[in-house]
Amino acid sequence: MTTAGISDDKATQQASHGLGLPAFFMTFVPGLGQWVLGQRARASFAFASCTALFFAGWAFVQDRLFAYSLTSSEPGGAWIPARIGIPLTLPEILNLPALAIGGMLTFESDFESMRAWFLPRPMEDLGGFLTAASGMLAAFWGADAIWSMRWLRDAKDGVTPAPACNPALAAGISWLLPGAGHWLAGQREKGLLMAAAVLVVFAFGMLVSEGHAVDRQIASVWWIGEALFGGGALFAALVTAPIEMTSSPDNLELGTNLCTVAGLMNLVVMIDAFTAAERTSFPVAQAPNGGAA
Amino acid sequence: MSLLLRLAIYVPVLFCIAVVVCGQQHVTARQTIRDAVRRSIRWLLYSAAIVVAMTAIELLFIG
Repeated sequence: MTTAGISDDKATQQASHGLGLPAFFMTFVPGLGQWVLGQRARASFAFASCTALFFAGWAFVQDRLFAYSLTSSEPGGAWIPARIGIPLTLPEILNLPALAIGGMLTFESDFESMRAWFLPRPMEDLGGFLTAASGMLAAFWGADAIWSMRWLRDAKDGVTPAPACNPALAAGISWLLPGAGHWLAGQREKGLLMAAAVLVVFAFGMLVSEGHAVDRQIASVWWIGEALFGGGALFAALVTAPIEMTSSPDNLELGTNLCTVAGLMNLVVMIDAFTAAERTSFPVAQAPNGGAA
Repeated sequence: MSLLLRLAIYVPVLFCIAVVVCGQQHVTARQTIRDAVRRSIRWLLYSAAIVVAMTAIELLFIG
């Protein structure tokens, strides 16, 4: 079957080949992919938006971010990246330049400084969300560059239809509101279904944990997964996380698990939204049961 | 937590996960739900088999 002048089999085969590791590693520097493609204004905006978002959050959290990282503050326990000012902190590490600058500006390895990492800061919930959001934004700008590369490689002038929306935008908006990317890509009912699925699991988690499941101060590693549902993490940062936990809820672990599962489900939803938008330009053959071949 | 409450959470969560997993292979909500129901039932049977196996192992080795 041939659609829009491009062989489906060929398009699927080319897409499966991917764009290679250089394209992947370029996504760690916001705007680098666009810069390489000659989209200088877009590249500058990508870099500026990610950096501004990171330092907006950094103004609140500062070196407290080291306490959220996957490195240990035990003497000799910190990984080498942290020693040179780059905490291994997800998802901030996706915005590598800003994280490195912030880290190098504040990293002190003496005992008192390390102890200070664990002291709460005013509005750190919002700050921690914003620094993480800068990493996610960098990932979406990376996805935008990847999409542009694929368009340059596979699209045929005047033949390949423009996508219903930019696939990176579909993924990005799904991060904040699950299913919104599918809506933009034209799969409206499926988008609502995806939104309901993620929101139900997230709501279960918040209910059974009495609202304390999504809190970077309490469970920073679990929060990495929870933050994959950006809308939920933002809600928690603004509403539930600032509320002090006087006693540990009976089902805190269950709630944390469920909210992390909701985040991981939303990762699948984001990727699917990207694919749904991409296929409005590069469709694949349909199987007889209605699924993609 | 009572078994009823655990099931009241487990079953709908399993179905929601199935919706997201199956959604990748379908374009419409109707196809997705139909496939998700089938897959949820299959996963529930797997879950029951795992619980039975774990209980049997517990009885065998711990008593």
